[in-house]
Amino acid sequence: MARIYEDLSRIIRRSKITFYLLAVLMLFILAYYWKIQVFDYEKYWKMAEANRLRELDIPAPRGLILDRQKVILADNSPSFKVSLIRENVRDYQKTIAGLSSLLGLNQEELKNRIERYRILPAFEPIIIKDNLKLSEVAVIEARKEEFPEIRVDVEPKRFYPFGLTAAHLLGYLQEVSLEELKANQNRTWHGGEMVGKAGLERQYNDLLTGQDGKLVEMVDSLGRSKGEVKKIEPSKGNDLILSIDFDLQKKAEELLQGKEGAIVVLDPRTGECLALASSPAYDPNRFITRFSSDEWLSIISDPGKPLENRVIRGLYSPGSIFKIVMALTALSTGVITENSTFFCSGSLEIYGKQFFCWFKPGHGNLNLPEAIKNSCNIYFYQLGRRINIDTIANYARILGLGQKTGIDLPGEKEGTVPSSSWKKRVMGEAWYPGETISVAIGQGPLLVTPLQIATLTACVANRGRKIVPTLIKKESHEENGDRVDIPTEVFEKVIEGMWRSVNDGGTGHEAYQPGFDICGKTGSTQVISRETAEKLAQKGGEIKKPHSWFSGFAPRYHPQIVVTVLVEYGGMGGQAAAPLAGEIFKLYREKYVRQTNLPGN
Amino acid sequence: MLDRRIFREIDVTTVLLMVIISLIGIIFVYSAIYFQASQYVWRQIVFLLVCLIALFIFLLIDYKIMLSFSWQFYIFMNALLMGLLLFGKMVAHTKSWIVIGHFQFQPSELTKLAVILLLARIFSEYREDRMSLRALIISSAIVALPFLLTALQPDLGTALTYLPILLGTYILAGMKKKHIITLLILGILIGFVGWNYGLKEYQKKRIETLMTPDQDARGSGYQLRQSKIAIGSGGLVGKGYRKGTQSQLRFLPARHTDFIVAVIGEELGFLGIILVFGIYFLFLYRLFSTISVSPDRAGVYIVFLSAMLIATQFFINIMMIIGLFPITGIPVPLLSYGGSSLLANYLICGLVLNVRMRRFVFV
Repeated sequence: MARIYEDLSRIIRRSKITFYLLAVLMLFILAYYWKIQVFDYEKYWKMAEANRLRELDIPAPRGLILDRQKVILADNSPSFKVSLIRENVRDYQKTIAGLSSLLGLNQEELKNRIERYRILPAFEPIIIKDNLKLSEVAVIEARKEEFPEIRVDVEPKRFYPFGLTAAHLLGYLQEVSLEELKANQNRTWHGGEMVGKAGLERQYNDLLTGQDGKLVEMVDSLGRSKGEVKKIEPSKGNDLILSIDFDLQKKAEELLQGKEGAIVVLDPRTGECLALASSPAYDPNRFITRFSSDEWLSIISDPGKPLENRVIRGLYSPGSIFKIVMALTALSTGVITENSTFFCSGSLEIYGKQFFCWFKPGHGNLNLPEAIKNSCNIYFYQLGRRINIDTIANYARILGLGQKTGIDLPGEKEGTVPSSSWKKRVMGEAWYPGETISVAIGQGPLLVTPLQIATLTACVANRGRKIVPTLIKKESHEENGDRVDIPTEVFEKVIEGMWRSVNDGGTGHEAYQPGFDICGKTGSTQVISRETAEKLAQKGGEIKKPHSWFSGFAPRYHPQIVVTVLVEYGGMGGQAAAPLAGEIFKLYREKYVRQTNLPGN
Repeated sequence: MLDRRIFREIDVTTVLLMVIISLIGIIFVYSAIYFQASQYVWRQIVFLLVCLIALFIFLLIDYKIMLSFSWQFYIFMNALLMGLLLFGKMVAHTKSWIVIGHFQFQPSELTKLAVILLLARIFSEYREDRMSLRALIISSAIVALPFLLTALQPDLGTALTYLPILLGTYILAGMKKKHIITLLILGILIGFVGWNYGLKEYQKKRIETLMTPDQDARGSGYQLRQSKIAIGSGGLVGKGYRKGTQSQLRFLPARHTDFIVAVIGEELGFLGIILVFGIYFLFLYRLFSTISVSPDRAGVYIVFLSAMLIATQFFINIMMIIGLFPITGIPVPLLSYGGSSLLANYLICGLVLNVRMRRFVFV
């Protein structure tokens, strides 16, 4: 045997030792497999599931917005969008170049957009174009294999069937901003989500926003879907039924066509707003895209400020409308009684300064209802001479001026009710009694919104019960609201004047409607708001006609409707505003008041 | 020489283990790739049959005759590698393939056989307790030549598999302490220079990836990460045959070759791993145990170097897929898909069988 001649024991021993070492290595490796497969199983299982499953959000449609008779004012319509999923991008350079030529996008903008959404997780789709045409969708679908990083989805898109109608009221949607994304980390935002940015869309955004659905898909390593695992259907947002009456709203907007101004129609019993019109308006459908910078710029730079809702944000001097407040103050404080009269000669010298009535020949001897009917300035100068500015301010505040009405719209302005402490605070000067004379006829630093005048009018119509205006239809006609501390009889006396103003040949006679007991007060204001004054100065100081006011209610007893009209540069009260108010009253009566009640027509 | 009695001496256990491992490989190659390219499975089955036939023909030749031609064989294979380097076509970024019609062959695989035989022949007459400097240099040079030629293709993965042969030689022939120290210093030096000048970026990346696999999830860390997820998510009992999400949804790269064990780990779990590793280790034991029945010194060398070659590839692969070794592109002998490697490994096992069946000198 070969063994006899050779001693192999040494090398055999060495190889055995080597093998034993390998056996030890084997045990060590097995222990490591045990660690990964048994000990860390949970961790790797989760990672495998994360690989395998992809969650997609199915956008929920927003709730509809309807008027009180269920006319749809804000609807949804399907729309195509393209999104890019960052984690599937292999070469950004190629992706950006390819997509921008495919979709006709600007390369820089696309790049910036992707850059902007880097704070979101990489699997979150970034919307790069929306409102696609069908032909564009076809092009993308045809080349989908080339671009596995993009996806085309259908999303419910906001659609306003009547365009300009009630635009300010409804507001509009825009893409959620990065600041909002960062500020609300706990809420599950999605990049490119559309949120209400103005009006009711903003006020009731949470209510209107539905619950997004979820689709869990199995995907392969290239992100291709291999089938549905789980699907949760989205649930639509809540519908909003408004107190708005579509016919009145449309009428109000028609009446303001070509003018700048605002009309408020509300129900004094409940505070429900029947129409809130602001002119000029804009078409919110044009904002319902994520990519509208040019159009957006042209609208916000329009000098007519079409985006501004004048109903709650326009600040104007109340003019003669303020005489209602003066009359209520004077009667409540006992400065005058129902029978007190003053003589109007057309002018009056107070504190060494000459003040004029708008009616140069003078009104002669007047009691309160007649003074309101004729809107006599002299009568109210006399009141202004007798009442302290702080008392006036106090009553104006009690009646709702100088503070938000509390309507359910964002961005309402407070206005200004001047007082001695206000002047001290703002200008650092003492109040001069002469200024009270201006305030007495609604001029001076007084600033109000049309909605404040409407709520003031409602308070008068209710003989002292205040209302909070709302845009949501109420279930019942239950009357509620705090009473102001002014006796009912006082209101009756002022209402008598307002009735005469419309029905007895007063300044508001142009609002007259046969068979409808309308009470109202006109106003006009020379001293226009600071804002508008600046605008005037820009236009080269051209002297404009005064703003024109009318605010009234009907019928005189058990009133159902308050109408407030403001027409910028409309001229003296009766000229522009009153006939518009008359048209609204007429339509309301035709629609809501039983025709058989018409006396002798 | 063509004595039929020889066949009675073929070690059936080893052959059976080889075939079982190959079949396990085919079963999981199918699971890994059937949805993409089912012809891979048929091809591997054909390869297996070809390899078995080649093995039996190979066994007819006495390893002592092979030893006598080992110089010629060695020179021929290196000439082939050189020619490939000079005139070869690039296939999959390397010049490691000889392409004849539909047939592709990787000569670097067969070169291992030549190296083993040559070293065995040289050391069959070497009876010193420790290697002399001359023996050390000669043995190192014999491995270094094909190593360099293969590394230049560039196919560092296959080139590295020559090193276990050299390591085996060092172990078996024994080394002087001063040589060990010198080699270690040299190794560190080469490593340093190689890292800075020799290695390609992607190769460095692979080594870096080992340290921090989660840094670059889409880049070079991706393979290791997906492999670990596949194995770990298999758990104790696995997700079931053809139900591994990592492999079926193609998250796992090179599923049918380098990462075939990860597919097994995912679909059969830790128990499956124990079973497959157990079979494999039994097979390795069977190879190593042939040493003690070797008739001569050359036989011991042939068996030990062959077994080391198979064992090292196996260990490197099962370590690299769980992050214990850099991703080097070394498949598991017999288990992974691939014709050339299957043939080379069958022939290497054939060397061991050859020695075992001729353990009785006068047969």
